[in-house]
Amino acid sequence: MKFGGAAALSDVNVTAEAGAITGLIGPNGAGKTTLFNCITGLLQPTSGVVFLEGKEVSSLPPYKRARGGVARTFQRLELFTSLTVRDNIRVAGEIRNRWSRTRVDPRAEADIVIEMLGLTRLADRDVSEIPTGMARRVEMGRALMTRPKILLLDEPASGQDEQETEEFGDLLLNLCGDGTAILLVEHDVSLVMKVCSFIQVLDFGRVIASGTPGEIQSNPAVLEAYLGEDNRA
Amino acid sequence: MQDFLAYTVLGLCLGSVYAIAATGLVVTYSTSGIFNVAHGGVATMSALVYWQLRFGWHVSTPLALFLTIVVFAPLLGIFLEVFIMRGLRDTSEVTRLVVPVAVLLAINGASTWIWFRNSNRALVPKKFFGESHINVLGQAVYYHQLIGVALAILIAGALYVLLYRTRLGVTMRATVDDRSLLMLNGGRPDVASMASWAIGASLAGLAGVLLSPQLGALQVFALTLLVFDAYPAAVAGRLRSVPLTYAGAMVLGLSKLYFDWISDAGQRWLLLRNLRNAIPAVLLFVALLLLPQDRLRGSVVARTRERFKVPTLRQALLWGVVLVAVVAMLQSLMSGSAVISLANAISLSLLALSLVLLTGYAGEINLAVFTFAGVAVIAAWQFDVGPNGLATKQSLSVMAILLSMCVCALVGGLIALPALRLRGLYLGLATFAFGIIVYQLVILQTAPLHFSLFGRHITINLFTNGSFTVPRPYWFGISFGGQRAFLMLMTVMFAIIGIGLIALRRSAYGRMIVAMKDSPAACATLGLNIKRLKLGVFMLSSAVAGLGGLMWAAQRRTLPNNADFDGFASLTLFMIAVVGGIGYVSGALIAGIFLSLLSVVLPNILNKLGADYPSLHWLFVTVIGNFTHYVGPAMIGIGLGKNPSGIAQQIMDGFRPLRKAPAATAVWVLALAGLWMLTWRGVVSNWNFALICVASVFLVPRFIMAAFELRFVDENRLVSGEDLDLIGLERPFRESDRQTLDTALGLPPMGVPRAAP
Repeated sequence: MKFGGAAALSDVNVTAEAGAITGLIGPNGAGKTTLFNCITGLLQPTSGVVFLEGKEVSSLPPYKRARGGVARTFQRLELFTSLTVRDNIRVAGEIRNRWSRTRVDPRAEADIVIEMLGLTRLADRDVSEIPTGMARRVEMGRALMTRPKILLLDEPASGQDEQETEEFGDLLLNLCGDGTAILLVEHDVSLVMKVCSFIQVLDFGRVIASGTPGEIQSNPAVLEAYLGEDNRA
Repeated sequence: MQDFLAYTVLGLCLGSVYAIAATGLVVTYSTSGIFNVAHGGVATMSALVYWQLRFGWHVSTPLALFLTIVVFAPLLGIFLEVFIMRGLRDTSEVTRLVVPVAVLLAINGASTWIWFRNSNRALVPKKFFGESHINVLGQAVYYHQLIGVALAILIAGALYVLLYRTRLGVTMRATVDDRSLLMLNGGRPDVASMASWAIGASLAGLAGVLLSPQLGALQVFALTLLVFDAYPAAVAGRLRSVPLTYAGAMVLGLSKLYFDWISDAGQRWLLLRNLRNAIPAVLLFVALLLLPQDRLRGSVVARTRERFKVPTLRQALLWGVVLVAVVAMLQSLMSGSAVISLANAISLSLLALSLVLLTGYAGEINLAVFTFAGVAVIAAWQFDVGPNGLATKQSLSVMAILLSMCVCALVGGLIALPALRLRGLYLGLATFAFGIIVYQLVILQTAPLHFSLFGRHITINLFTNGSFTVPRPYWFGISFGGQRAFLMLMTVMFAIIGIGLIALRRSAYGRMIVAMKDSPAACATLGLNIKRLKLGVFMLSSAVAGLGGLMWAAQRRTLPNNADFDGFASLTLFMIAVVGGIGYVSGALIAGIFLSLLSVVLPNILNKLGADYPSLHWLFVTVIGNFTHYVGPAMIGIGLGKNPSGIAQQIMDGFRPLRKAPAATAVWVLALAGLWMLTWRGVVSNWNFALICVASVFLVPRFIMAAFELRFVDENRLVSGEDLDLIGLERPFRESDRQTLDTALGLPPMGVPRAAP
């Protein structure tokens, strides 16, 4: 993926397995969000392909990829600011009803998701009034309403306090237990190490390391990317 | 071949001037994100200033040019940036389009007021160096045109150096990328914005001066439209690329001249004689088709200042009944002319309802509402084909209305198609271009169209003899031909459509529309086909515009083809609807009433006051009358930056204290009803009734606020009791205060565990 002459992503090969959480970490500007945009179709890569359950979806527009089972949250919040928390989540179910063969009651399903995400007290608030951490949960709830096969989470824990982050980690583990593939971009390394079964590290648009959390923690290239060569203790 | 080359040279000359005009637009857009619709107005006023200096006061040409292009126009640009455009940060695309529209109308109104208010004098500008010319392949190319070409080349080079080789240019480009970051790095974005607006206005002024001799005598709106012609060139450059803008301008200039060549200046094919004026609009459509797909955008700004609350269906029903009852009561007190004014207002409100759906809910833009009214009338006429069409009919039939709505929906869909891939601004420009095309090629056609299709002879009546006569409905044995009956019919229709729109907004479809407005990118990642939804909304709103347009035409009875269709009326209605509160049905009502008040009622009142008090004639007629006539509506639009949610929101906030005191409110309403009864019986005069009503509307909410110790916090939240901010200062902080704060902030009460995921 190139922006003008600058390559934002190059030779990146990322796989997210069903029923597992795959971490995608890297310093700011490493290309994580750009990768999400390429996977969801918001950006068309200059080269490369995207597969969903073995089927190539590279030429599909974003809405068709979403119908195929790709859902995401955004690093920079993309909430429907004219709607309440409940309606933000409900509308995702209503949109799903337009394209899915299995129809659901969006209101009832939204209430379940709201309860699951601990948003009940805020459900009837305007979404623009709630704290950032809660707003990220709303985005996640909205994505869950599409019943995705793969969920791309872009810094979902930012804005959440320690306790909320811990609860959030448990929630992610529950979700992937249902068979959903989760690709997690997150700066909270302790959360990533806790929930991810496999981690890939991006820096300057390239994968510099991949492996289990234990392997990544001791990888010299990762330490250098995060701390710089001079600062390694 | 010689002719071809000669017309090519002339086309390039014309294209050069368009390039100058379009480049000014690109400079302001690329540094402020505002599509300066007022560009044409700035060009027009600059041309008039130049005329005043050069031909009115006989200042030398260089000095007149210097004062116009280097002093007046840049100062006007800086004024606009500092006092108006700067207030548009964190507003929606709609607001950022409407305010420049208001500025355009204000500048044009001021130009008319200053130069044309008392006489139809002809202000004839002359070309530089008069008729001096050189011959190129047998065609005269005037020095004036050559100067235009030279200046275009010079400006292209100067802009390149400015934008890419100077610190100011880098700052200007950085301003639009990230204003905050620029400030953190010591840049001064405000200075850069002022510079870009000064340069843009200067280029507009130069284009105005260069184009004005084409018109013969200067006319405000004609010259503005001439500068509008350059807009497709800016669109071809995606409003950012100067080289592509130049290329677009050359295509534009060549197209016009080639058309002159092959059509003998429009005389060869009478049906297409106005095509020359429509060529820029046609090219705009072509440019829209050729533009690459926009990246799906997220929310434009993190949080816009526009906020529209959605009433419940019950509230909507209640207000619908109240509206019908109030109009019925008021019209019973009104004179015939006052009823006509009110009916005009309601008919315009019906038209504006289409904008509530399209712009208020979906965030898309239609700048040709009146054109849809024209299309609806033509379609209704075709349905009632006869020797004289609708003119001979007793009634506007339901079938004719339904057919018109369908035709409008289809036409709306066709217009929207090329712009669906693009942002709302481009859809707005597409509709404006559509308005120009229909006006030039259809509405100005006074002869019927005859053609054969599959062996059948078909006649389509356009604005035959320059006007349409539209009958009013005669439905279910009830004649709505009388003004009062028709007013009530339109009011009921407004209430029903308004309630329908609110029901739609509260439905799943409505939530999707609003979601699309807030974040198209997020919608797409949920599986929503944005293009299809946008198309559906545009078609639906076009159908509503068709219905409103037919009612508006029936209200006028005879609809001439010379007014309301040239684009400016649609711009005005759009602007006033946004000012009224584009997200509210009541905003459409306010828009209709405002337009009727400003165009008919207020001038009548001021003229009467001027006649009754001759010593104050100068105040009522010359000052207030002219001000409200020429620039009043525009001034209201310019104020939108301060309150982007519109007047309806302010009114609702003003009446919110009434909810806290239902008993007092009921007493007030009953008192007004009693007063109406007394007025109806002739005990109280109409003027006293009106004055008491208006005064009570302002005073009663304030009285209730004072009596119940209510106050607004956070701009629009109404609370009673003490100010939370002052607790701890005025008295000690208590446990109950903490609980109140927790509730207000949405935090769980102490001791209650957080919800487990």
